[in-house]
Amino acid sequence: MELFELAKYPFMKEAKEWVKNEKVSVEEILFDELYERARERGVRRVREAIEDGIVGEIPLVDEADCIMEIFSYPVARMIVISIENEYLLRRYALAEAKKAYLHMKIEPFEFIKKLSEEFGIEINGNEIHFLDYLKYAPTWDFKWKLVNRDLKNGYVKIEKNEIARLIQEAIRKKIYDELIYAFAPPEVKKVFKNEIMSIRSKFSFKNKEIKTGEISHQYFPPCIKNLINSAKAGLNIPHVGRFTLVTFLNSIGMDTEEILKIFSSSPDFNSEKTRYQIEHITGKISATIYSTPKCDTIRTWGLCYPDEFCKKVSHPLYYYRRRKK
Amino acid sequence: MNFLRKKFSSYYFHPKIEFPERFDRREYAFIFFNEDKMHRHISFPSTISLETYLKMNAPAHAYYSSAYYRNPSAGTMKEKEWMGADLIFDLDADHLPDVENLSYEETLEKVKLELKKLVSFLTEDFGFSKKDLKIYFSGSRGYHCHVINKKVLSLDSQERREIVDYVTATGINLNGVMKERSIYKEKFRDKTFEIYPMEGGWRGRIAREIIKFFHEIKSMEREEALSKLMEIEGIGRRTAEEIYNALTDERIKRIEYGKIDQTTGFKRIAKPLIKKIAVSLHSETDEPVTTDVKRLIRLPGSLHGKTGLRVTKLEIDEIENFSPLRDAVVFGEKEIKIKLVKPINTKMMENEFNLEKGETKVPEYLAVFLIARKMATL
Repeated sequence: MELFELAKYPFMKEAKEWVKNEKVSVEEILFDELYERARERGVRRVREAIEDGIVGEIPLVDEADCIMEIFSYPVARMIVISIENEYLLRRYALAEAKKAYLHMKIEPFEFIKKLSEEFGIEINGNEIHFLDYLKYAPTWDFKWKLVNRDLKNGYVKIEKNEIARLIQEAIRKKIYDELIYAFAPPEVKKVFKNEIMSIRSKFSFKNKEIKTGEISHQYFPPCIKNLINSAKAGLNIPHVGRFTLVTFLNSIGMDTEEILKIFSSSPDFNSEKTRYQIEHITGKISATIYSTPKCDTIRTWGLCYPDEFCKKVSHPLYYYRRRKK
Repeated sequence: MNFLRKKFSSYYFHPKIEFPERFDRREYAFIFFNEDKMHRHISFPSTISLETYLKMNAPAHAYYSSAYYRNPSAGTMKEKEWMGADLIFDLDADHLPDVENLSYEETLEKVKLELKKLVSFLTEDFGFSKKDLKIYFSGSRGYHCHVINKKVLSLDSQERREIVDYVTATGINLNGVMKERSIYKEKFRDKTFEIYPMEGGWRGRIAREIIKFFHEIKSMEREEALSKLMEIEGIGRRTAEEIYNALTDERIKRIEYGKIDQTTGFKRIAKPLIKKIAVSLHSETDEPVTTDVKRLIRLPGSLHGKTGLRVTKLEIDEIENFSPLRDAVVFGEKEIKIKLVKPINTKMMENEFNLEKGETKVPEYLAVFLIARKMATL
């Protein structure tokens, strides 16, 4: 990859090797005036990730711009780790992946293919194997459900932009997996003291806003109670059931942590993945806050176990609100 | 000693057990005769120790876990430490509509149809080789299909669900499968559907089924065709006539090219056709085995306590001719005196049995089957 490309995809193996070969010490990056720009850009990466949900672009005109851009990535990672907040860490990983997606959309196909190799995604012309597809496709979206795809002999037909979307997810996962176990040198907290403080305080403010109202479990409609019981018993809940449960609990003001706890008995419980899905459905990391399906829909999904009170309502949230009064 | 237990015990002295892969990483579970309790969280260091266990206990039901664990005999999921699980499809008559009034053989034939559909999806769409698929008669009213391929072991339950949703057509988007197009003809606008018989996936499957359907209709006598069309929910006599009258040779040609000009009632036709090609894997409310990554499955080669039949492996090419009441029978011809609770008409080991209620002598294999099914006593 050329320097310009490394600057666009600084999380790739090649970019990391490039940084290693430059033999710049952590002290230099943190304190040397030479890397002032990289530090500033690193702060911006984190700030934009957390505030806007995507890392913004800066013009890369010459090699010096690219070098600073590449170095700003390890700086941003050190800052994110030092904030010590898992939610922000995930938000950051997604924001970097989204930025990469915008770049990938305009890359030539051959380049996308090369990128995908690093994530073990094998592209065969315009097809990928369904197991790779399932690993990274956002299948909660009907368009991406396997049943709606052209699948033949184990391979799914896929367009270039869609491959980019899968790689986005692979990147998000890679960055997250790396950060969750990483440590930052203690100096980072000193150098970026103000920035870290300001992000932390801003976030805790945001967090408070979400919490609303007291939750009264005894007034949950039977479908929701049933789903919660199944989840707590570690039974498998169909996707539409998870969707119903998450949207309902979110609407009545339960936060991600509490919702997550309900799902944690599943034998293959994957905290990170479940959290990601919850946050997607509840609009924390996506543009849409999905609303709770109405009774009719829940019935066609086979999740309805009505009691007497159900006759009076057409939506699980009405049930809850009317009974809670 | 209980008759069934004695018979089972004699089988387990020379059993034909097929041991699962990663044998010592599995949890085993058993239910004994005259007990309801399941004995769980058992693991065996070697196949010999399992065989000995079966010999000693002659259980009514024997299971192993589809999952494999670091500590298979631990009491809780957490301590077991899940490592992976086989991909298993459980096709059972209990999941099929309208089987209450069918005989045992007829019911199993229905499940066989589902099995054939499933195999077609797994091989043609998912690209598994026939060697990857192992098929077992469940010993009772169904078939199990195991996908033995190391790539599927680590699939999580949501990824498995996507596979289940695929074969059952759950969440299918009809508008994506066939596209409605508006055409402007001179002064008026007309609607048409496009289908895609050459494509893979559900789009291709549905398109080919639709073409087949119209061919069938075309080849039928008028009245027969009309009543076949009217079987479809929402299609009345008028619509049926409209569809039938429009089916000229030229029309059929156009349909083969994927162009359907007939729009009235067309979507109504597509829906039951989807149902026809989809696999019935589970009822609407309960969860399919496939997505459960910690399920217990009957041990191949063990006997089913409610039929006395063996959980029997069959090759894909044998599906058509497999007959449980011949091929899953392990007991002999020796005559045994039993009391029938009610009259019985059945065919077992190619012999017809038409028996009155009351005392009678039957071969041992039939005695075991009837006693296990609680249709007779000693």
